[in-house]
Amino acid sequence: MYFRMITSSLIRRRSRMIVALLAVAIGATILSGLVTIYYDIPRQMGQEFRSYGANLILVPSGDDTVLGYDVAERVKTFIAKDDAVGIAPYRYGTIKVNEQPLMAAGTDINEVKRTSPYWFITGQWPEADKEALIGQEVADLIRLSPGSRFTATGTDGGGNSFSRDFVVSGIVQTGGTEEAFIFMSLSDYGDMMGNSGGIDVVECSISASQTALDDIVSQISENIENVTPRLVKRVTESEGSVLSKLQALVYLVTVVVLLLTMICVATTMMAVVTERRKEIGLKKALGAANKSIVMEFLGEGLLLGAFGGLLGVALGFMFAQTVSMNVFSRPISFQSFLIPATLIISVAITGLACLIPVRNATDVDPAIVLRGE
Amino acid sequence: MDLLELRDISKFYGNVKALQNIDLTVKQGEWLAIMGPSGSGKTTMMNIIGCMDKPSNGSVVLEGTDISKENAKNLTNIRRDKIGLIFQQFHLITYLTALENVMAAQYYHSMPDEKEALEALERVGLRDRARHLPSQLSGGEQQRVCIARALINYPMLILADEPTGNLDEMNEGIVLDIFKQLHRDGSTIVVVTHDPEVAEGTQRTVVLEHGRISRITQNENK
Amino acid sequence: MFLRMVKGALFRQKGKMLMIAFTIALGASLATAMLNVMLDVGDKVNQELKTYGANITVMPKGASLLDDLYGIEEGSGVSDQYLRESELGNIKTIFWAFNIVDFTPYLNTKARLNSRNDEVELVGTWFSHYLNLPTGESLNTGMINMKSWWDVSGEWLTDQDENFVMVGSLVAGRNNIQVGDSITIDIGGQTKELTVKGIFDAGGDEDEQIYAPLRVAQEFTARPGLISRIEVSALTTPDNELSRRAAQNIKSLSIKEYEIWYCTAYVSSICYQIEEAVTDSVAKAVRQVAESEGAILEKTQLLMLLITILSLVGSALGISNLVTASVMERSREIGLLKAIGAHDGAISGLVLVEILVTAVVGGISGYFAGLGFAQIIGRSVFGAVIDIKPMVIPIVAVLVSLVTLAGSVPSIRLLLKLRPAEVLHGR
Repeated sequence: MYFRMITSSLIRRRSRMIVALLAVAIGATILSGLVTIYYDIPRQMGQEFRSYGANLILVPSGDDTVLGYDVAERVKTFIAKDDAVGIAPYRYGTIKVNEQPLMAAGTDINEVKRTSPYWFITGQWPEADKEALIGQEVADLIRLSPGSRFTATGTDGGGNSFSRDFVVSGIVQTGGTEEAFIFMSLSDYGDMMGNSGGIDVVECSISASQTALDDIVSQISENIENVTPRLVKRVTESEGSVLSKLQALVYLVTVVVLLLTMICVATTMMAVVTERRKEIGLKKALGAANKSIVMEFLGEGLLLGAFGGLLGVALGFMFAQTVSMNVFSRPISFQSFLIPATLIISVAITGLACLIPVRNATDVDPAIVLRGE
Repeated sequence: MDLLELRDISKFYGNVKALQNIDLTVKQGEWLAIMGPSGSGKTTMMNIIGCMDKPSNGSVVLEGTDISKENAKNLTNIRRDKIGLIFQQFHLITYLTALENVMAAQYYHSMPDEKEALEALERVGLRDRARHLPSQLSGGEQQRVCIARALINYPMLILADEPTGNLDEMNEGIVLDIFKQLHRDGSTIVVVTHDPEVAEGTQRTVVLEHGRISRITQNENK
Repeated sequence: MFLRMVKGALFRQKGKMLMIAFTIALGASLATAMLNVMLDVGDKVNQELKTYGANITVMPKGASLLDDLYGIEEGSGVSDQYLRESELGNIKTIFWAFNIVDFTPYLNTKARLNSRNDEVELVGTWFSHYLNLPTGESLNTGMINMKSWWDVSGEWLTDQDENFVMVGSLVAGRNNIQVGDSITIDIGGQTKELTVKGIFDAGGDEDEQIYAPLRVAQEFTARPGLISRIEVSALTTPDNELSRRAAQNIKSLSIKEYEIWYCTAYVSSICYQIEEAVTDSVAKAVRQVAESEGAILEKTQLLMLLITILSLVGSALGISNLVTASVMERSREIGLLKAIGAHDGAISGLVLVEILVTAVVGGISGYFAGLGFAQIIGRSVFGAVIDIKPMVIPIVAVLVSLVTLAGSVPSIRLLLKLRPAEVLHGR
């Protein structure tokens, strides 16, 4: 009978219950949506911060002047697969174009795209062999534009002279030293200079917190000999400070929004229950003990809270997903603990919001309630 | 045997004296009407008889026990076990069907029993309307549901407040017939009314005026 | 009589009306707080992003970055071009002067350290320089503001420290230099004895350099009043199609586009304006900083926008929900009014005016509460006051009135359909 009364109340008083359910669902949606976003912010924003480029560089240490060719592969074993945004090895050497001495850099173009997303390219990234990306300064110096050809000459590691033709695929602008380089693939570079040397520098862009980065640094220096990993302070420190601010922002916003929403839900529930004072009086006149009236309203509240909460979990996740896709173009990671948490909180708030007016109403004399039309 | 005895009761609301020095005895099986103009204290008296309110002075003795000093919780229990209430406004729970409204009274009393509730509705001629919501029933039908609900726990005292006040003549007749039948079966009934026609059918009429009993009439035909 | 009824409803049902006003106030304060924070978050985050350092470098026309490179000696393709220190103040006179947060001049020269043969770079700069501007204002600017990530053991230099230097950690490590040591610097045969006041770890190329106050470096190298480079930190608007086109070729813009571009704080238009203000200079955007700032700003603003929309929708639904609930509750009263002969219009008017009066009271108090919330967020996150945007007031006003109307109209219509007899005689 208890269950029958509760469900009848919920189903047959449809319009009022929809009002109440809506209130709970809004609260739960905001709760689960914002908390999901809050938890995902460091990860998502951290990815965005990777547009600042490499935050860890590897340079040779000890007596070695170069790193081994396999260093990039070996470093990868210390970085979680999802965290490694890009790992770009560089070889540097001097070449001559039109008798002008210039710096050539051999690198993995695909990795550079990921480690240095801020490079502004006029034309295209090199794709085929014998294509090169040249810095703006080089382009100005020897008057090259995308599509034009140049001949690189020089001597390789073994002292033999070489001459290779390249096509300019694009011109890179960074506002930094990169504008004075000629970039090409490692294989083209090796073809000119020979492969007797090694890698000069490895730039890594890793999406990780400061402590995780420190951890990676110590692991690399312990496990790979003759390599000095150095954090790019300007990037890592600033990222830490800005990211923590952003997280604090979303945190506070979440707290304020949740607080206000929960009070809003509570007042709506109170309004819905207060309306039923007459019914409470009648039940008392029929001989219902206060306890059983409280239990009935509580039961309704809990059921409402559970349904509203469930609805809110789904809607909130949809909202968070929409936000994530719109802002970061990446799906959001679902926090499974939010299902029980949202349910418990919405049930608790609805229950509480029901209890206050019901308690007040049960104190009322049934006679007054019945007569006081 | 005396079922209910009011001994010198008074009720004040602030300075307003709603009832003053009322003495009244209701016998087992009696059918009693309380009449009087508006403001004469009918409602206050009904609330006190129905254990919904306590007198300021004097005592209420129900089946030999003084209940006027009981607390609200015990009053609720007494009301639940011994009194069946019938209201002018019917006061059915809007979201429960006729049957469920009757069962709700059973539920607060002890255990809901659908069969018994259906029988109670049958007695008031509403078996085929059992699954309807109050909003789908006419006023007369709602009042009959209210009566069925009042009867379901076999109360010692049936207390009806203007039971026909909201009904047309035909339904009034039906309801009064049910009361007559109940009386024949031995129920004790107190009806608060200002309809002389209702009072006429009862055994005794108590007339209130300005919070005092001004007149008690025995209806000889019963 | 109408007024009397409204007054009666408002004051005699104080509790109920207070609750509605309270909920409306909550919703309004949420909207106010979120809108204010959202509108200001761009500026605030932009300020935070200044910790990444300069986003514009200014160099003499014809000078090249080539001398920065490993392996290429001075002289090959490097011209002896300099900017004038006296023109530095002009940077603060451009159209977007207000957006220039900091700037620092640099004078780079090669020097020999402790009579060893390998060269290091000596950089003269401002550390914390007090500058009187041509506009009559004054400004405190320099390295200390712009290199917040430097890790300094010992102390930062001041511009008055004539006999002190700061040494990069790699130089110090190689030469075994400690804080307090004396070092000898040799530039083109001239030598000078200097004390190391601080050793810094910048995590970049600067670790190979030695820093001295600008005046010291100028005297040392006999280049008084000259500088080789300026770093500028400016608040900028994220790049878009227009600014990219302008960056490539200003002449491709129509006059109208040019005006829009010039009057927007794009990094390219600020660069252009700096070039106008400083003779024979080339201002370049440091893309690493400028682009990333743009990306992060855009994401943050979009994120806040969506969260704001969510809370606006939430508070709107919350308010209209409660209004619906409280209007429906009054079925009996409305039935009675109809029974005594009130027309539908009169009843709707009565209920609407009541609700709107409540909404105004709630909305106004909510607005001020919301300002409070916005300041709490601003203070605790950014340590700065959130600017109060007047445009929030009409938005909140329209929102609150629309939402209360949306909440009350359907329920009033529903109630008007009821027959008074049914309502009064306990349905």
